[in-house]
Amino acid sequence: MKNPIILIFAFIVAAKAQGNTLVLLDNQVIKETHSIFFKSLQDRGYTLTFKIADDSSLVLSKYGEYLYENLIIFAPSVIEFGGNLNVDTITQFIDNGGNVLVAGSESTGDILRELASEVGFEVDEEGAFVIDHLNYDSSDEGQHTKLVVSSENLIDAPVIVGIKKNIAPILYQGTGILADSENPLVLPLLTADSTAYSYQPDQAIKEYPHAIGKDTVLIAGLQARNNARIVFSGSLSFFSDEYFTSPVEKVSGDLKSAKSGNEDVAVAISQWVFKEHGRLRVKAVQHHKAGENAPPHDYTIMDDVVYKIGIEIYDNGKWKPFSANDVQLEFVRIDPFVRTTLKSNANGVYEAKFKIPDVYGVYQFKVDYDRVGFTRLYSTTQVSVRPLQHTQYERFIDSAYPYYTSAFSMMLGLFVFSIVFLHMKDDEKKSKNE
Amino acid sequence: MSQAGSKKGAVSKLNKNAAINSLIVFVVLLLAWVAGFASRLFAVIRFESIIHEFDPWFNYRATAYMVKHGFYNFLNWFDERAWYPLGRIVGGTVYPGLMLTSGSIHWILHLLHINVHIRDICVFLAPIFSGLTAISTYLLTRELWSSGAGLFAACFIAIVPGYISRSVAGSYDNEGIAIFALQFTYFLWIKSVKTGSVFWAVSAAVSYFYMVSAWGGYVFIINLIPLHVFVLLLMGRYSNRLFTSYTTFYILGLIMSMQIPFVGFQPIRTSEHMAAAGVFALLFAVAVLKYLQSMMSKSEFKSLVIWGGLVSAGLVFATVVGLTYAGYIAPWSGRFYSLWDTGYAKIHIPIIASVSEHQPTTWFSFFFDLHVLIPTFPAGLWYCIKHVNDERVFVILYALSAVYFAGVMVRLMLTLTPVVCMLSGVAFSVILEMYLREEDSTPAIENEEEESSQNPKRLYDKAGKVPKIIKHESKEQDAIGQNIRSIAAVVFVLLLMLFAVHCTWVTSNAYSSPSIVLASYGSDGTRQILDDFREAYFWLSQNTADDARVMSWWDYGYQIAGMANRTTLVDNNTWNNSHIALVGKAMSSNESAAYEIMTALDVDYVLVIFGGVIGYSGDDINKFLWMVRIAEGEHPKDIRESDYFTEQGEFRVDAEGSPTLLNCLMYKLSYYRFGDLRLDYRSPSGFDRTRNAVIGNKDINLTYLEEAYTSEHWLVRIYRVKKPDEFNRPRIPVANRVIKSSSFVSKKSTKRKKGTIKNKPVIVKGKRPAVKLQ
Repeated sequence: MKNPIILIFAFIVAAKAQGNTLVLLDNQVIKETHSIFFKSLQDRGYTLTFKIADDSSLVLSKYGEYLYENLIIFAPSVIEFGGNLNVDTITQFIDNGGNVLVAGSESTGDILRELASEVGFEVDEEGAFVIDHLNYDSSDEGQHTKLVVSSENLIDAPVIVGIKKNIAPILYQGTGILADSENPLVLPLLTADSTAYSYQPDQAIKEYPHAIGKDTVLIAGLQARNNARIVFSGSLSFFSDEYFTSPVEKVSGDLKSAKSGNEDVAVAISQWVFKEHGRLRVKAVQHHKAGENAPPHDYTIMDDVVYKIGIEIYDNGKWKPFSANDVQLEFVRIDPFVRTTLKSNANGVYEAKFKIPDVYGVYQFKVDYDRVGFTRLYSTTQVSVRPLQHTQYERFIDSAYPYYTSAFSMMLGLFVFSIVFLHMKDDEKKSKNE
Repeated sequence: MSQAGSKKGAVSKLNKNAAINSLIVFVVLLLAWVAGFASRLFAVIRFESIIHEFDPWFNYRATAYMVKHGFYNFLNWFDERAWYPLGRIVGGTVYPGLMLTSGSIHWILHLLHINVHIRDICVFLAPIFSGLTAISTYLLTRELWSSGAGLFAACFIAIVPGYISRSVAGSYDNEGIAIFALQFTYFLWIKSVKTGSVFWAVSAAVSYFYMVSAWGGYVFIINLIPLHVFVLLLMGRYSNRLFTSYTTFYILGLIMSMQIPFVGFQPIRTSEHMAAAGVFALLFAVAVLKYLQSMMSKSEFKSLVIWGGLVSAGLVFATVVGLTYAGYIAPWSGRFYSLWDTGYAKIHIPIIASVSEHQPTTWFSFFFDLHVLIPTFPAGLWYCIKHVNDERVFVILYALSAVYFAGVMVRLMLTLTPVVCMLSGVAFSVILEMYLREEDSTPAIENEEEESSQNPKRLYDKAGKVPKIIKHESKEQDAIGQNIRSIAAVVFVLLLMLFAVHCTWVTSNAYSSPSIVLASYGSDGTRQILDDFREAYFWLSQNTADDARVMSWWDYGYQIAGMANRTTLVDNNTWNNSHIALVGKAMSSNESAAYEIMTALDVDYVLVIFGGVIGYSGDDINKFLWMVRIAEGEHPKDIRESDYFTEQGEFRVDAEGSPTLLNCLMYKLSYYRFGDLRLDYRSPSGFDRTRNAVIGNKDINLTYLEEAYTSEHWLVRIYRVKKPDEFNRPRIPVANRVIKSSSFVSKKSTKRKKGTIKNKPVIVKGKRPAVKLQ
């Protein structure tokens, strides 16, 4: 009964609404301990539906329509989801464009590990913490698992994590993540320091730890090829009120702040994962011959062509012109024949002028703008480039003038000859008659 | 007086005879036309009025385009739906004669308000032109021998299977009109050699122009006519008639043939056309010598001929070789090389060797296509050699060269057929004149008289010999008794009847299948139509995006374009070997390697032909080795033919087949889901009827493609190529995971849908309603 009402409510506040979000929790306590994070989401217009992860009425979709756009799983210790939810339905949700934010902990269950593997990273074994004997907080309880991570370890992408310089050191306690090195889509959003490793802190190290130093990813992100975004944090407490508000002081002393950078990073990451940031789209593509306005049915080789593409970025609920100076255009027929940087105009319109090569065929104008943190902008427009028509060739060629001369002189010669020939005959006849 | 009276009577009798003769000729030719037309209609009656096979589909599509958009747009037509992404300039790569012919017929009929659909004109064009071929064959044979032989030849060519194979209703191909143009050009050439008139030579050149516009086989004409001239020169049969007709024909023919965009500058730049130019030069040299001969003494002339001949021959040869090396004259193209060296194509150009039409001819097909004409045509040839004159030299050369070429390639059987008909016509007419002379000896003789009386002052040599010889032979025949004579006559008539029966049988059984609609006969004689091709093409046209790109082996390119109207990568116009090799490589690689090629080429769908269910032998697996060979030619590092054979060197699809074959894309696409199919109770599942084997890889999984459509009898299978964004999240395969998770057993059941959480506080359960309230 609640869902329809929430839906209606969502439509009413549509101006600012960011879409329905399902939040799965281990227990109700988490709702309170992470209230700042949830509050910031609600302030930004998200409609949060809190459910316990084993709730038997869990559904993501009804009648083929997804009820939610985003999914937050703050339930590290779940062994099996209730209702219709399982790894398959969640990956299907991702494949259909849903965004997922997952927070694990040292007790991350197998089902989340399975889910992580589906999107290209692995969560360390149960009970494993990221341990760093040099970079831990002064409030650490002795196992050196409450890490202080410098904002330098954040990924170099302001769209995802905000501007690094302005961020205070970050507190982190939880398990380590291994990113698949062969997977080009995985983004290590936050990595541990080079002195860190991931292991069970109360056990002697018998085997080589799964993650060592900078390879230990603390927060991993992935933008799937359909632009669905997934963020997997090894630490649930990273998002907690306690970490958001507590002061930071690294034991060795050089990193110190009255308030940790967790809130800034967590909010930025949530903005990114739920696609408030870094969403690009193509507004319009125009192409035509230089000096014309409408696109022709087909181009002719060596034509001068103008290509324009309008690119917009999603910003605060509105699509606004996007400005960059590294957007490239390729004119492709199997291989790119022309590759040029598009010139940016005002209003987010990018323009390129070039001459079509002297090769006919079916080409594509291809703009493939793939930058870390931004959705992939991919636009192809197929056009045919035809050879010259029979009327478009040169009528008179300089080098052919000897032939023209010979043809006309031949005709003239024949004319003169026939006159002479006819008259000669007359004379002969006359002479014969005489 | 009596002399005068008898002469007068003879004249009136002659007129009467001429009238009867021309009536007979007219009726026979008309009947030949009708019979030829009718016997080509099997396909239309059994199936429907439909375009056949492969190439005709392109011709039809081009014709329809021309009718719709006009000639100039057709000339400039850039077809972006073929050879994606290269495109094809249709106007410049096509012999437009066929399209122009049916287009102008369409135009004329519509001018008269006879609204015929262009498809019907295309379907019936070849049968109609077969009648014209019969008439021109009659004309040519009449010039060579006699009117009677001409009628025989016309009747033969009207029904002979060798020609019907390319001209049944629906077989809308260049050859259908080209054979008419060929025969007519030869007739006009013979006429011009006989008369030495510029008019006939110009007509021959115009007819040659039509031939050039219609078929690439025009090269045969432009080599045979110079050969004729050359041999006549060697035989010392130079005459001013020959000089006039050849020079006129060559220059006009050359200029006109260069007007066809596809031919362009080839006539002056390729080796195939050099013989004609050489003979042209030689003819002038001979003419000059003849002129000098009249002014010089004998000894002077002798040394001039020897030295001048040697020097000029050396000069010409050196020029041609020099130009060839300098690149001005293209060397012989591969297709022509394969005419001399039959093994050439197999080694160097698999794409040519892969076409079944380009295989060497078997003896069987000679008999199958020509039947009784094969044994009788040497007799006709012998008569021609025995009573040789200028034009019979031509037919001898025609016969010898055509026999050679027909032996090299099945396809060139077509050029052999007309000359075989003509010479058999000669043979039959001579034989029947011998044996039936008693009944109608007078008209036969008068026929000759008439011929000579028409042209009393005709100068061409040895024309007078013909009647003499027949008279001479008839004297011999007098010794033959009445019985033998009638027996022989009956035997030959029976032979001709058998020929007619054979022709009808062959036409109806072998050459009247549209090949896009198949028919099978049940044990009780019921006919089943297998319409899988059209079913699948219709599916493509209805269920795919308009600009979807379909990858298939090149055989089906024209059909996909013509029937489904979709973009194809390669088609039957095999102009770009490397593009075909790329498709061949995709088909013969494993799935992931193929996927790379397919994404580079923007392929949306893959179409394969699979005959394993119904036992159709012309499917892609049987053609597969050619794909491998062609791919190997361009990519020898990636594809090796030997990988596709077993260690014993066999090509087999069952469990003993080579692993490369069992995992290549073509195999997977052909046999996908086939392992589960059990065709009947006697055979195991996955039994391939075409190759009589149980397939070796029954468990086929496709990663990068998915089945989109399979036609009723599995003949056509269409697969969709997944786009990169469908491989959304690169998951880590279980085997590659560093951290192994324990096996998971679900505790959920249909009734209990609650999940589980570790260390769950018990109180939470009681609080659940509070969660809902939030």
